[in-house]
Amino acid sequence: MLVLDGIAMRYPGGLAAIDRVDLRIEDGSFTSIVGPSGCGKSTLLRLIAGLASPSAGAITGRPDGAVGLVFQDATLMPWADVENNVYLPLRLARVSRAEAKPRIAEALALVGLSDFAQAYPRALSGGMRMRVAIARAIVTRPRLLLMDEPFAALDEITRNKLNDDLLRLWREQEITTIFVTHSVFESVYLSTDIAIMSPRPGRIMARHAVSGPAIRDADFRATQPYLDACRAVSRDLERAMAVAV
Amino acid sequence: MSRLLPLLVGLIVLALWETSVRLMQVPVFVLPPPSLIAEALMTDGPQLLDALLETLKLTVAAFAASFLGGLALAVLFVQSRLIERSLLPYAVVLQVTPIVAIAPLIVIWVGVDHVERAVFILATIVAFFPILSNASFGLRSVDPGLADLFRLYRATGWQRLWLLQLPSALPALLAGARISAGLALIGTVVAEFVAGSGEATGLAWRIVESANRLEIPRMFAALLLLSLTGLALNAVIVQIEHRLLRRWHSGHGEAA
Ligand SMILES: Nc1ncnc2c1ncn2[C@@H]1O[C@H](COP(=O)(O)OP(=O)(O)OP(=O)(O)O)[C@@H](O)[C@H]1O
Ligand SMILES: [Mg+2]
Repeated sequence: MLVLDGIAMRYPGGLAAIDRVDLRIEDGSFTSIVGPSGCGKSTLLRLIAGLASPSAGAITGRPDGAVGLVFQDATLMPWADVENNVYLPLRLARVSRAEAKPRIAEALALVGLSDFAQAYPRALSGGMRMRVAIARAIVTRPRLLLMDEPFAALDEITRNKLNDDLLRLWREQEITTIFVTHSVFESVYLSTDIAIMSPRPGRIMARHAVSGPAIRDADFRATQPYLDACRAVSRDLERAMAVAV
Repeated sequence: MSRLLPLLVGLIVLALWETSVRLMQVPVFVLPPPSLIAEALMTDGPQLLDALLETLKLTVAAFAASFLGGLALAVLFVQSRLIERSLLPYAVVLQVTPIVAIAPLIVIWVGVDHVERAVFILATIVAFFPILSNASFGLRSVDPGLADLFRLYRATGWQRLWLLQLPSALPALLAGARISAGLALIGTVVAEFVAGSGEATGLAWRIVESANRLEIPRMFAALLLLSLTGLALNAVIVQIEHRLLRRWHSGHGEAA
């Protein structure tokens, strides 16, 4: 279990981005973090990824090995084709290309891009680029996958499709996933757990568990538990927003 | 069609030049007609080409030296702000001092018996700075997200340099190389002018010589060769740029 204990983060210049965040994330869960813009969601993910260290508090229970990280934009190397972009994490870990080949192929198959291994990023659509970024994040078989509003820039149809792909991946690979989003609907559709953050300095204002069928699909959006959860999360989000003022 | 247009303009200008020079009876030592220049090119061609080859050798050597030196120094600068802050001022001093002014000094130091060494050093100084500044800029213009990714996967300094910083710097580096190649040629010619004496073998000295002897058509022929060389150098680098960047740089699409 990943435990965040009293995490605070102050940027140089004195600005407190997040303040005393306590969060427990069960292994194998899918946790969404929802909150207003600027409340410190990206900061929180960077702390969990180890890209920054908190000014106070501690993070324990990080799984061994590399963490997978997907940014809001795909952040691919434009000079490398899809295969080499996905190879990067393994290459940095000094895995030989021959050894990496089957794992790259597997990761590309999981995101449905097997036919595009030799394509360059600029020849791909936004949704395809995002899927390359996901393949790159999972190619090391991480036990923890962090995603920072990965689908925010995509149209709804592509986004729904990628949501389903992501759920399948999460189920099959049993990757503990932390997913940042602005969208209440997206968070409810995807998550087993939802954490709602207050405006800056961000704190966790509420937690919700979402009960739903083991395998979710578009029909889930029409069920009562889904609609109830959406209403409850929206209400808590509004309350969280009101706190700051 | 768009390729033929400059050619057509050139032909018209040449025709106008030829007729007006003949009609107005302009003395040959002021402005020779194109036909005389062509004649000079035929008769003095082999000799001029030999001279051009000398100039070109030095140009390429100076360009290679400034490319490697500029890139190496830029890599050093990016590793350490301290090194950059201590060395950059001197690079700037070299950059802002006119080479014509340092030429005599360099000639005294290395060029008394070997003019070409002095020319090489002077041309390198001239061509060096665009590489240094463009490479430093390029090496720093790394996508912060990709930098995070390299940190996340605990990339070593070498991995970051080879797999992230150098590829990120490539467009800026090549733009610098294009400027620098032109400057290497200009630097070589200017250095030949100031450092050269009777023993200099480059094209610049043939120009001086022709002017002294009032062989103006020969001088124009040498000038023409020099311009063509500059164009060719530029074209080579543009080709390399296009090859290397077309896959990922929006300005270099396959269709372009
Ligand atoms: N490098 C930085 N230096 C200083 N302040 C920063 C830095 N990065 C973020 N901040 C500040 O910290 C706060 C939280 O930023 P963060 O990016 O974590 O928010 P967010 O919740 O991800 O916002 P969004 O939903 O818009 O992406 C913001 O107020 C921001 O101005
Ligand atoms: Mg953010």
